Amino acid sequence: MKSIKINSLTMFLLFLSPALMLAQTTPTALEIIQNVYNRPTGEDQAGELTMTLINSRGDQRVREIKQYVKEFGKDEKKIMYFIAPADVRNTSFMNWSYDEAGRDDDQWIYLPALKKVKRISSDSKSDYFMGSDFTYDDLGDRHPTADTHKILRQENLDGEECYVVESIPKEKEYMYSRTVTWIIKDKWIGLKKEFYDEDEELLKTLTVKKFDKIKGYWIILHSRMHNVQKDHTTDMDLANLKVDIGIPDNEFTERMMKRGLR
Amino acid sequence: MRFKFAWLVLMFAPMIIIAQELNLSGYARNYTGALLQSGGEYSIVQNTFNLNIEQSRGKVAFKANPYIYQYPGQEMEFALREAYMDMLFASIDVRIGKQQIIWGKADGVFITDIVSPKDLSEFLLRDFDEIRMGVTGVKFDYYKNDNTFELVWLPAFSPTIMPAEDGLWFPRLNLAAPATMNATQEVTASLENSEVFAKFSGIRSAIDFELMAGFAWDDDPTMHMTKHLDPQTMQLSSLTVNPEHHRLTLGGGSFSATVGPLVLRGEGAFYSGKYFNSADPKYSGAVVEKNYLHYLLGLDHTLWNWNLSGQFIQQAIMDYEDSIDQDAYENTLTFLARRDFLRETLTLELFSYVGLNNSDALIRPRLFYDLSDGFELQFGANIFTGDTGSFGQYDENDMVYAKVKYSF
Repeated sequence: MKSIKINSLTMFLLFLSPALMLAQTTPTALEIIQNVYNRPTGEDQAGELTMTLINSRGDQRVREIKQYVKEFGKDEKKIMYFIAPADVRNTSFMNWSYDEAGRDDDQWIYLPALKKVKRISSDSKSDYFMGSDFTYDDLGDRHPTADTHKILRQENLDGEECYVVESIPKEKEYMYSRTVTWIIKDKWIGLKKEFYDEDEELLKTLTVKKFDKIKGYWIILHSRMHNVQKDHTTDMDLANLKVDIGIPDNEFTERMMKRGLR
Repeated sequence: MRFKFAWLVLMFAPMIIIAQELNLSGYARNYTGALLQSGGEYSIVQNTFNLNIEQSRGKVAFKANPYIYQYPGQEMEFALREAYMDMLFASIDVRIGKQQIIWGKADGVFITDIVSPKDLSEFLLRDFDEIRMGVTGVKFDYYKNDNTFELVWLPAFSPTIMPAEDGLWFPRLNLAAPATMNATQEVTASLENSEVFAKFSGIRSAIDFELMAGFAWDDDPTMHMTKHLDPQTMQLSSLTVNPEHHRLTLGGGSFSATVGPLVLRGEGAFYSGKYFNSADPKYSGAVVEKNYLHYLLGLDHTLWNWNLSGQFIQQAIMDYEDSIDQDAYENTLTFLARRDFLRETLTLELFSYVGLNNSDALIRPRLFYDLSDGFELQFGANIFTGDTGSFGQYDENDMVYAKVKYSF
């Protein structure tokens, strides 16, 4: 969730002549990714996240989370309360992420059995979140400068005009060798994304199944991650989404992690 | 009486629940363990029912956590782990009643975490939420940004629950003569004998910290001993042991910080008024009061998808005398390795305490498997090595066990 960042360069571009604007209709690959990264999604959000884990036999396991997200300047704080399954109920997770390139997130987890908030390292971004097909990094906003981007082509996907952008990580040990993203031109939503493993083989495909304009912001409401190598899938649904509701700053504290949902 | 009360609660619970629309969660569990020595004799066969009953109405809330331990052929054990009410204000929370209060950053070690006493009926083998006992008291929390000031008043002292004297886990006392063990001298519940704890804590991007102080009672009794000499030989012939709790004043703190890919943790406390057993005849009751330092440094790291954690713990007796039973410095290591497989349905874990002074250890390999969401199978072993020390004393108690747990 990123708000529009207006700087002096943007202001300068706004006042350029229409002719010059036309000459620059195709943005660079980095600009496209920055537009996705900076796509405004409101000052704060509250919603119910349901992850349905489906294995190759079609068996389903469901994880339910209530999450709150808020912008703090250019940084973002998120708190998640686990509702289901029963053995993780009342566990909560808090993440503070920073706009500063290269700065790691701060993360804490509250385990009700231990009655303790524990700081955890955000270094293991390749870990899968709650056994789903989404890694912690897949769920976060990867900084545009972390990869080198290239426009492969422009094509229509599901009725939407898209830029197809390849992103190759600058970090050698990153879990993906490259990703390819289909980005809707006028909405800056990644409609589809392919993740390739260290051997350049297709590992996972992320498909956005539903998005909507809520309070003027384009928000992804349903997406599906399919691990094509292991043939299992995670469906992620965001329901009862409320945007710009004025969530107080103190919702993102140790106090609330311990208190849980009430 | 306890048995009848349990049934009464169980009978009326459904009606209460329907009437009040309470939030219910909990688990049912079977826990069966067998000793590796003694021909596979069962060390434990336990059925557990644990219920969390919660309700929240805006600025007020309550929770009760009754539980039942049932052992075949024995009386059912029914108790309340927690039963408290919350009053929630803009920047102050007040919790009144029986509650578990957990402080500090250490894992599996109790340094500043001394508000809730321990239930050591099964040594340190129970899950931590079962080791911590609820204490009756009032807890005030005042919040300012990411800082918390906490004040706890416990009107009555609750001691550590020690293992049964005739059970597997009663600690070895290493007495020099046959002893008569008297009942622990109780601390009378009174205003004068109440306990007070305070903590200031905060979380920052760089560091989490806690500073604490307490005017408490030592949860573990000191073994005061009276020596009886044979009138003819003037040699020690027997002992009378009088367990007694003493006042304890302590101050300490803890921190947790991210250093690159590592999480560095530390915790320490200075105890004033701690008693130790001494062989020096000049000390009445064979005990001497000394100041005492207990601290820990720990590191957490994830490597090749394994969550790894190590801690070094030292207990140091200040102004040490050679006649004291305990070593001047007692050093312990803990180690944890844990990894999930099969989309977090299978977990392997190895946790170990290693006593460096006595070369003893408790090694706890465990395997967890989620047969279905909320239905967990656990298989594990508790292996004690060494002959003496906190863990070596249980060298004959190596065991394997299985737990089946249904959460709702």
